[in-house]
Amino acid sequence: MPDSPSELVQGTLEMLILKTLALEPIHGYGISLRIEQISKGVFRVNAGSLLPALSRMERAGRIKAEWRATENNRRAKYYALTNLGRKALKDETVLWGRQIAAIGRILES
Amino acid sequence: MLRNLVMGIKALFHREQRNQEMDEELRSYLESAAEEKMRRGMNQQDALRASRVEIGSMEMVKQKIWSAGWESTANSLWMDLRYAARQLRKNLGFTFACVLTLALGIGANTAVFTVLNAVLLKSLPVADPDRVVYLNTSGAPRRTGTIDSRETFSYPVYDTLRQQQRGLTQVMAYVPLATSKVPVRYEGEPEEAEGDMVSGNFLSGLGVKLARGRGFTVQDEASHAPIAVISYNYWTQRFSRSADVLGKTLYVNGVPLTIVGIASQGFEGVEAGKSTDFWIPLQSRPELNAWGNPLQDGKTYREDATWWCMRLLGRLAPGVTKAQAVMQLQSAFQTAAYIGLGNPEPGEQKPVLSLKDAKSFPGYDEQYGKPLRMLMAMVGLVLLIALSNVVMLLMARNATRQREFSLRLALGAGRGELFRQLLTEALMLVGLGGGLAWLFATSATRSLGRWAQIETSLAPDNTVLLFTLSILVFAALLFALAPLRIALSAGPGLALKTSAATSNTDAGKTRAGKIIVALQMALCVVLLVGGGLLVRTLRNLQHIPLGFSTEGLVVFGVNPQKIHSVPEGVAFYQELMRKLRVLPGVASVTIMEERLGTWWSDNSDMMVDGKLPDVANGSSRSVRSNVVGPDFFHTLGVPVLAGRDFSDSDTAASPHVGIINEQFAQRFLPNQNPLGHNIGTDNGKYQMTVVGVVKDHKYRSIDETPIPMAWYMYAQIPMTGKMHVELRVHGEPLAILPAARKALQQMDPGLPLIQPITQQAQYEQTISQQLLFARLGGFFGLLAVLLVATGLYGTLAYRVNNRTVEIGVRMAVGAQRGQVVWMVVRDSLVLTAIGVALGVPLAALMARALTSALYGVKPYDILSYSLAVYGVVCVALAASVIPARRAASIDPLSALRAE
Repeated sequence: MPDSPSELVQGTLEMLILKTLALEPIHGYGISLRIEQISKGVFRVNAGSLLPALSRMERAGRIKAEWRATENNRRAKYYALTNLGRKALKDETVLWGRQIAAIGRILES
Repeated sequence: MLRNLVMGIKALFHREQRNQEMDEELRSYLESAAEEKMRRGMNQQDALRASRVEIGSMEMVKQKIWSAGWESTANSLWMDLRYAARQLRKNLGFTFACVLTLALGIGANTAVFTVLNAVLLKSLPVADPDRVVYLNTSGAPRRTGTIDSRETFSYPVYDTLRQQQRGLTQVMAYVPLATSKVPVRYEGEPEEAEGDMVSGNFLSGLGVKLARGRGFTVQDEASHAPIAVISYNYWTQRFSRSADVLGKTLYVNGVPLTIVGIASQGFEGVEAGKSTDFWIPLQSRPELNAWGNPLQDGKTYREDATWWCMRLLGRLAPGVTKAQAVMQLQSAFQTAAYIGLGNPEPGEQKPVLSLKDAKSFPGYDEQYGKPLRMLMAMVGLVLLIALSNVVMLLMARNATRQREFSLRLALGAGRGELFRQLLTEALMLVGLGGGLAWLFATSATRSLGRWAQIETSLAPDNTVLLFTLSILVFAALLFALAPLRIALSAGPGLALKTSAATSNTDAGKTRAGKIIVALQMALCVVLLVGGGLLVRTLRNLQHIPLGFSTEGLVVFGVNPQKIHSVPEGVAFYQELMRKLRVLPGVASVTIMEERLGTWWSDNSDMMVDGKLPDVANGSSRSVRSNVVGPDFFHTLGVPVLAGRDFSDSDTAASPHVGIINEQFAQRFLPNQNPLGHNIGTDNGKYQMTVVGVVKDHKYRSIDETPIPMAWYMYAQIPMTGKMHVELRVHGEPLAILPAARKALQQMDPGLPLIQPITQQAQYEQTISQQLLFARLGGFFGLLAVLLVATGLYGTLAYRVNNRTVEIGVRMAVGAQRGQVVWMVVRDSLVLTAIGVALGVPLAALMARALTSALYGVKPYDILSYSLAVYGVVCVALAASVIPARRAASIDPLSALRAE
């Protein structure tokens, strides 16, 4: 079971994207790759959910996009956090922490 | 939010660019993914394939990105709209029929509801209308004259009640300056307007706000201040909302009044169906007497306790009910009623005060309530027919689209998507129909108001808008849901079937269609019967004999301003008649105090040979009288049965003479020669000898029954005021008016012809409501028939068309044309029989409710019913025979090949 990648927890994709982008601007596949690597292959995000989420977040003003050359000299769309996005990340992290703690308490009781 | 909007719009307008961008991003994603895999040791081809598999369908991803923004919803709506428009355009005849049907059905409902709303539902445009009441009395004391025996009071009664300060916080009075309009002058030309004299607290007590300037105070009333407040409507129409009208002078009957205020919009007085143009404080001068009447024994309405002419309104004190207020005021009222009259006669019942809600315009309900509700019901039926028509047309059309729906379902469209599509089409139809309906309704409302002579503002308000919108929404949902059932019932499997015909012969569907057709026929019978009865009423009303011919008769009023004595008045009218008689084309001329055919009459008891005549128990002694000039009956053309007409030789100096009608002679002077008997007023002051008996004829209105009448000679009684001139001319009656106006203005350039109109039109005004109702009823009946006929034709023809293949088969195996046509017609006739069987009892119910609106025709009039049934059968036959014959004349082989 732990070897096969699982679906993301509902509603966490945007938060994970925000966190990933908090380190540095990065392109679409890069985000997907990094989520997979950091989660040690537990989560895998495919293009079908990642790109619409990026489009939605761009629309909401949490991230901004820019065409840049990659390390391999290929054109790619790089995403970066905006101030709004940084704030959203902070808020969502706090919220998430609270939820996790609550769920933990319920499961331990 | 804003950024979202801007980006959405950008995406919508630069779809190509956005598409390319997505493509490029996807491509770079794919390449990056492949690179990563190659880095881990795959070869290039495998890496690319694996990445493609991971990403899945590129188009799907793009679609997902697209639908993340709002613009995709907008886009698909737009697509739906375009698709719907294309569908409607493809079938122009269908669209046209639906839109027109909806426009007529909804428009008629909006129009009638607008009037109903303005007339019956709106409350008086005053503050807190629930606390405002009308003062009524059970009657006036004996020896008094009234305008309306239940609704008018004398000045002393008003004066007493307002000083009570109990029960009612305010007692307000108003009294018109004329029975209709009063001559006014504003910078030049003489004209007419509707004006009321009101108590100082009238505007403030009702809570009417002023748009400009000031209202009246109690001091204005006490000092009879020469000031006026004009209505907003009058300000708009007469003064074009000129700001400097305040402070200007308005001459009313020659009396200069300063305009000091403009009432707020919407307040046009408290009378049913009238719009008051201006108000002035209660006056005390002969030129501005109540109702434009001449002084009675030198007294104005204020001093004359015998003339009950003022209408009174009150505002209930807080926490006091109507019954409590009446209790507190009753004894004061009964005492005040006899001020200036002496003690009540033995056995006389004292008048009893009562209060009536003034929430809405009084009298409106009695006058218009029933006809309007009936009309509303009729147009409601019309709407029902219109809606079911459109539903049937839609179902018929969408049945032929069943394969399209089936195909769409098979291709993966959801129920929601189909519904959205159908709803868009329905909304488009309803939108078009509704827009047209609103246009239609505004013009229909205007003519409705004009016909009914409702002068109150009929502008549609929010209630009307809401009413229409809810009909539209209901219609749209109905039109989307009805065909949806068909669309879904098809299911994706149907697309696989090949026959167009088999898809249309679902038994359940035809049953529903049959029920609707039969119901429509029933409704059609109901409306045809109603329309027929009303049209016959209309014909009867228009052909009631008046007792004389109105052809060539024209009437107008004259209100001389510079007359100070009775001889001057007589001389004025003598001179006027002399001038008019010599005009070319004039056959004869006379004058009268009360104009004929205005609903007005002067009723009182009369002495016959020195005493009040004996009458059988309970029957009325009331005599209608009028004051008229020479040649009166000759001019009208009323036959003089005995004795003579009035003539120029009857003067103040000669013996006083009077003329009576047959009714008078029969009731008060039976079995004797009435000529030479003495008749007179009930107070004995005025006496005259009967010199003529004339045939009974219509006097106040067209649909009255004759009662005893007596005529006085104008030159022999003291009167100096307004009279009406009646001219009989050769040719077009109204053509004489310019010459008549010139003749009048030679005598006094300031005098207008008051309400000039042909005598025929004047009489028709008294039945204008019956006429209006009958016309509208007939019109809606016909409209319904037209709608039903087109709907039936459409549906039946459609049903027959669906059987083309069946007919082909039957003919191929040897059926004769006649047999086939009969088979189809028999089907329709069965439906018609059911419809008629349902419709006739319903029609009888409706006719009973209509009874009061009918004239000269019974509610169960066989002829109307027969005609209605005949009409329905004709429509049904035409709608089935024509398509049946067409189907039967097709070559059976080609019908089969059409598969």
